[in-house]
Amino acid sequence: MPYPEALVAPMRAELTSAGITELKTAVEVDKFMADKSGTAMIIVNSVCGCAAGGARPGVKLSLQHGKKPVRVATVFAGQDTEAVAKARSYFADIPPSSPCVALFKEGELVHFTPRHMIEGRDPKSIAAELVKAFDENC
Amino acid sequence: MGTFHDNKSALHGITVVVDTKGPKVYVGRCDDEDQEKVILVDADIHEDGANGKSKADYVKRAAKFGVWKKYDHLVIPRGDVTSITRLGDVHEIAVKAEAAKPAPVAVPVVEAAASKAAAALGDKPIVSLTENAQVEVKRLIVEQGDKPGVGLRLGVKGGGCSGFSYKLEFDVKKDGDVVVAYPQFNVYLDRKSTVYLRGISLDFQKGLSGKGFVFSNPNATNTCGCGESFSV
Repeated sequence: MPYPEALVAPMRAELTSAGITELKTAVEVDKFMADKSGTAMIIVNSVCGCAAGGARPGVKLSLQHGKKPVRVATVFAGQDTEAVAKARSYFADIPPSSPCVALFKEGELVHFTPRHMIEGRDPKSIAAELVKAFDENC
Repeated sequence: MGTFHDNKSALHGITVVVDTKGPKVYVGRCDDEDQEKVILVDADIHEDGANGKSKADYVKRAAKFGVWKKYDHLVIPRGDVTSITRLGDVHEIAVKAEAAKPAPVAVPVVEAAASKAAAALGDKPIVSLTENAQVEVKRLIVEQGDKPGVGLRLGVKGGGCSGFSYKLEFDVKKDGDVVVAYPQFNVYLDRKSTVYLRGISLDFQKGLSGKGFVFSNPNATNTCGCGESFSV
């Protein structure tokens, strides 16, 4: 059951205020993924304070790096279920978890950070892993 | 760190590996734990040897991508538990161990035209083939007519009892492929597959049980017959 939107709104804003596009429908996700040029990143956001509380600032920090994905979007697990299911269909071989981060290059998945690599870690170390992936792929 | 639930244990919300005295190992998100029990949510259980996977194989694979949830809620008696480890820590230990490994004997040269993804790996190849595997691959390429540009394509696809199956076929280079060059042929990988195959070694074994290509993948278990060993 979705959380009250008033509770979730600041968590959405934490990413969208950093210029990250929020995708709320399956159509929006497909449209985002249809552009296979360059690099794209999708963050599956969630209300979980144990993991997403570190993921959001970690993602924002990583995007301050010189090399970064051309297009960055987010979907919100547990809230925008249709969009999340569609986003996960682009990395369907990987067990679902949230938060998580998927990096694509020319439409192909090239890096994935599952929840268990986020939880309990501080934003700086989460950002460091993403930056490493950016340096390799962007 | 990691919890804002004051009434829960420090591991609340953390994905953990719970090993036991018996054959079972559990992976799931810790809801709480105390002297009597460990409570997991969104969890999976593996029994040593099931699907050809030891506990260690299963945990190694789980550390890479996580587990497919089979149970919403599990209560494990504390008396059965021998250790509780963060799954993220297991992954970090595995990555460090892999980095500390000596380079394979037959180190292929990444050709100049290889994609940036391959180049980013520097001297460390994405995949390596043992001498036996190289000889057998070349033999099969010759057997198929030794056509120009034909090499070995390695890849993965969803499915199989381990969740992933390997693809092994002869093919020419396609746009976007990562290319690992060996003296007598090239190995081609699409970019998606490099996520799963990074660090993999391919051997060719002749033995009493027959002969075949055998994958050794630091990212996955290699004990499942389905998709791991390919008879030729």
